[in-house]
Amino acid sequence: MIKRLTLVLGILMLSTQLASAVEGGVAVKNDTLRAEPFQDAKSAGTLVKGERADILKSTGGWMQIKTAKSKGWVRMLSIRRNAARSTGKSGSSLAALASGRSGTGKIVATTGIRGLNEEELKAAKYDEAQVTLAESYSSSKSDAQSFAKQGKLVARKVDYVAAPGGAK
Amino acid sequence: MKTTWKLLAVALTLCATNAYSFDFQKELSNAQSLGQELKAKRDAIQAPMQAAGLTGYSEPEEIAIGRQIAGNLLGAAPLVKDAALQKYVNKVGRWVATQSERPDLAWHFGVIESNDLNAFAAPGGYIFITRGLYKLLANEAELAGVLGHEIGHVIRKHHLKILQQSKMLDLGSSALSKQVGGNDKIAGLIGSGAEIVSRSLDKDAEFEADRIGVVLASRAGYDAYGLPQILQEIGHAAPTEDSVALLFKTHPHPDVRLAQLGEVMDSRFDVAKAQTLPKRLVKIK
Repeated sequence: MIKRLTLVLGILMLSTQLASAVEGGVAVKNDTLRAEPFQDAKSAGTLVKGERADILKSTGGWMQIKTAKSKGWVRMLSIRRNAARSTGKSGSSLAALASGRSGTGKIVATTGIRGLNEEELKAAKYDEAQVTLAESYSSSKSDAQSFAKQGKLVARKVDYVAAPGGAK
Repeated sequence: MKTTWKLLAVALTLCATNAYSFDFQKELSNAQSLGQELKAKRDAIQAPMQAAGLTGYSEPEEIAIGRQIAGNLLGAAPLVKDAALQKYVNKVGRWVATQSERPDLAWHFGVIESNDLNAFAAPGGYIFITRGLYKLLANEAELAGVLGHEIGHVIRKHHLKILQQSKMLDLGSSALSKQVGGNDKIAGLIGSGAEIVSRSLDKDAEFEADRIGVVLASRAGYDAYGLPQILQEIGHAAPTEDSVALLFKTHPHPDVRLAQLGEVMDSRFDVAKAQTLPKRLVKIK
């Protein structure tokens, strides 16, 4: 009897874990599913605007998803995710709460400071000490360069992109 | 044949001149009715400059204006007391800004005490992100994307243009003389406190800043999808949340911004070696 209970409990725990691990989304446009996260990878099916999908993985600009019919990779901008991200690695909602992210996408206020509103901003008084302090933290161009190097960030050439309408 | 071309060129020039003088007349009469002839002359000179993406302010003036706005904003929401965090954000920001056409501006970045999800830019390179938004970041690439968006506002002088449209003020050399306590003339120009940061920019200016943000992050070697990813997160906040009230009031909804980015982000942004650097992101206390 006890064994069976433990088993049921175990299955229950497993299933809740699974439920929290799988994230859902909706296609915001038609797209082609790819076998791998590259534009020229083999097609793995199609995605139709409004179609629901489970999000299995995401990396860079790509998401691996599973729809009713197929499984594959699409650009992240083709999917609108249903829920706020949990903290990822652990998949635990407790961790999400602790970090200020709750499952509902609400940001939990932890310090009791109110949001900025227009009235507050209008009434704001100039604070010279704070500006001076802010300026004291500045980084020089060469600081920034060595910082980039440490992170293996390699600068590359990318042109500005025009607005979808055409104009820059 | 040559004469025809010449004629055409003359005709075109004439047309252009006509269009210009018509606008000039309109500007002039509008302003005269207000009894501000001097102002009209300045408008007439500055309106075409504005159309060309220029503003009538020198760089030192721009910085003085931005410094005043930054001081007012910090009066409402001071810096988070964490020097390591502030220095980190400055390094990321400066590296991203170095990829822009204003790499030598004295850029300043900061994390401010507010649980709002928001970030602010003031002219001259003063940029702030709220504690609330910083906490939502999953990696350095997302931070780079957010800062890149704000850098976009600075390099395209979006806020300066708003100031120019709303008020004309001859700052002169006095703008730069006063340091402590802020500057009265600039204070008059920017309105009460930090109200200017709660004013909406044109939505096209926001879309433009988004496009610049992803490009600058990508130029800096980051995964260009940091900005879209954090926009998705922000999009999950209920519109009724206090923390997004100001952001949603002054910006198009994240879903709309994502759809715009979705139309222009193609394989140019797929870079195998692009970094996200989740481990280097300094945790906020």
